[in-house]
Amino acid sequence: MNVLQASWLAFALSFAGMAALAFAMERHHEQLTAAMEISAARALLLRAVGAGLLAAAVMPCVQAWGWSVGVVAWLGWLSAGALLVVALISIAARGAAAAACILAAAAAIMAAVWSA
Amino acid sequence: MAERRNAGGAGQGGFRQAQAWLHTWCGLWFSWLLFAVFFTGTLAVFEEPISHWMTPEHHAQEQAQAAACASGQRGGDLGQRLAWGLAYMEKHHPGAEMWELWPSDAEGAGDLRVYWFDEKRQYASAELDSATGQPLDKDQSHGAVRATKGGHHFVDFHYRLHAGQAGLWVVGIAGMAMLVALLSGVITHRRIFKDFFTFRARKGQRSWLDAHNAVAVLTLPFQIMIAYTGIAISASTLMPAGIAVYFGTGSQGLRDYVVALNESDRPAPSGRSMAVPQLEPFVQRAQALMGQPVRAVVVDNPGDAAARIGVYGWNSEEEMQQRLNPTTGMVMFSAATAEVLRLRQPGEVDGGDASMAKSVIGSLHQVEFGGQALKWLYFLCGLAGSAMMASGAILFMVKRRGKHLGRQAGEFGSATARVYRLVEGLNVAAIAGLGLACIGYLWANRLVPVGLSHRASWELAVFFGLWSLALLHALVRAPAAAWREQLGLLAALCLLLPLLNWITVGDSLPAQIARGDWESAGVELSAMAMGLLAAWAWRYLRRRSARSQSPVSAGKMEVGA
Repeated sequence: MNVLQASWLAFALSFAGMAALAFAMERHHEQLTAAMEISAARALLLRAVGAGLLAAAVMPCVQAWGWSVGVVAWLGWLSAGALLVVALISIAARGAAAAACILAAAAAIMAAVWSA
Repeated sequence: MAERRNAGGAGQGGFRQAQAWLHTWCGLWFSWLLFAVFFTGTLAVFEEPISHWMTPEHHAQEQAQAAACASGQRGGDLGQRLAWGLAYMEKHHPGAEMWELWPSDAEGAGDLRVYWFDEKRQYASAELDSATGQPLDKDQSHGAVRATKGGHHFVDFHYRLHAGQAGLWVVGIAGMAMLVALLSGVITHRRIFKDFFTFRARKGQRSWLDAHNAVAVLTLPFQIMIAYTGIAISASTLMPAGIAVYFGTGSQGLRDYVVALNESDRPAPSGRSMAVPQLEPFVQRAQALMGQPVRAVVVDNPGDAAARIGVYGWNSEEEMQQRLNPTTGMVMFSAATAEVLRLRQPGEVDGGDASMAKSVIGSLHQVEFGGQALKWLYFLCGLAGSAMMASGAILFMVKRRGKHLGRQAGEFGSATARVYRLVEGLNVAAIAGLGLACIGYLWANRLVPVGLSHRASWELAVFFGLWSLALLHALVRAPAAAWREQLGLLAALCLLLPLLNWITVGDSLPAQIARGDWESAGVELSAMAMGLLAAWAWRYLRRRSARSQSPVSAGKMEVGA
């Protein structure tokens, strides 16, 4: 996996992960579904998925940069993903959710193709 | 932040309120300087592309060099270059206590330079023609080339304000203030997790606070790291006690410290003379031992029987993709016996774990690893940090605007209105004005005549001159008008930069892209992106001022200026 591929993967995963964490919160869940409350089970699920995606984002970083540089890069991509999530949610919450789903799916496919 | 009580002083209220007080005032008084340090530091990430853009006369030369390199012509092979360098030093500087030769770049091409310590122990240098070995006249080599500090201006300004040690102290103290503001900000931010992803647009003060929180909290690891490492790099200046105790004060103490750290095994001159042997065999052995091409050859005690030859390597880009510590390989030889005195592999350090930590701290700050991706991440996070300071400074005024003005006893007594006016003016000059100074510096690079003496200083004069004019303008004009006018000019200068380059030098953005010169294209595209941002802000403010002209909304000035 080259650096460009790793960058895309890390970015896609951290964006999707941050979006999942955001939509697990009542305020942003409401922006998405107009429902005032989020069920505890759904919040837990979204949080688990989000945390999992963020954790997964470390893998392409470590593959491309090794552990010492990779962890620095991972923190950078987490920030980049989070900043874009905040910007997109404030403009179009549904668009942000859709983008997160697409990027997560694309990341899964890309990871399978590039590591094959 | 949001919860600050107006009446709260440092000692009043609870712990959180005390922290809020600290955050507000520490943040405000340092925000202008910190914004300048942060923004120029962010530009400094791309020091090399900016320098490349600012020396267009080198473009043809660089391309010719790349072509020559590809076809195997390098203008003198390694042995020849080393011999030329040695001959120059033997002829012109036989008495120097140290000679240093930089024979070529990592590909074996590029400039041939030599350095030495002159009689006053000052570092001196000369460039030799890489095709003939003859010394190049400084004017001759730069005759048709514009003299410029290039991107290094942003590096120097961001860590010492072009003011030497004094500037280093000022920036160091501002860096401390930034750490104080970051930590007190986190403590003050009651809803740090609940508001983690929150940005509510077009809500006046609320929006500014949201933006301030979001850019700071989401990039917090970077902000703390960059402030801490920025201070730690200058530790030997900012915390001199340790060195002073063991090695004495002043520059002599510092010199002794450096010698003890790196040069404890440096041989003393023997007094018996011995010519420096041919360097190529040493260099070839060193390259094989450390696995890197030669960057520099240092000869200590040249001409003495106790001469020592040190060979240093170049880090390749591939190596630095995966390594935080940027130290290169190094091999030390005895000149007399050709015995290896010391071998350091790339990535190792002299002086143990503390030296390693120091080296990595420096590298973390200057992003010497990880290639372009890491540089862009640093650039993004640096912009977020700049936005944090700018939004904080603006927020301070947005909160107060209309609240206290006109009242008798504001937070600064009878001077309140004047202090607020000053803060408004400083906000405009520090944020929009600094942008003008930075882009003006690039304009000056194309407009200041090439042959002018002290030309590089004139470019700097334009930087500081424009900034001073922006401050004057911001203090004379009403704040809202000052914001609009400076942002408008900033947008125009940024967006027109490619046109300026095309008119003055004849190099256009499409041509840069066509020949694959992404360093030049990157500078111009980034300038245009900044220009679009400034243009958007300018249009927003113009519309709002048009709205606020109508009597209904005149009292509802909220955001920005």
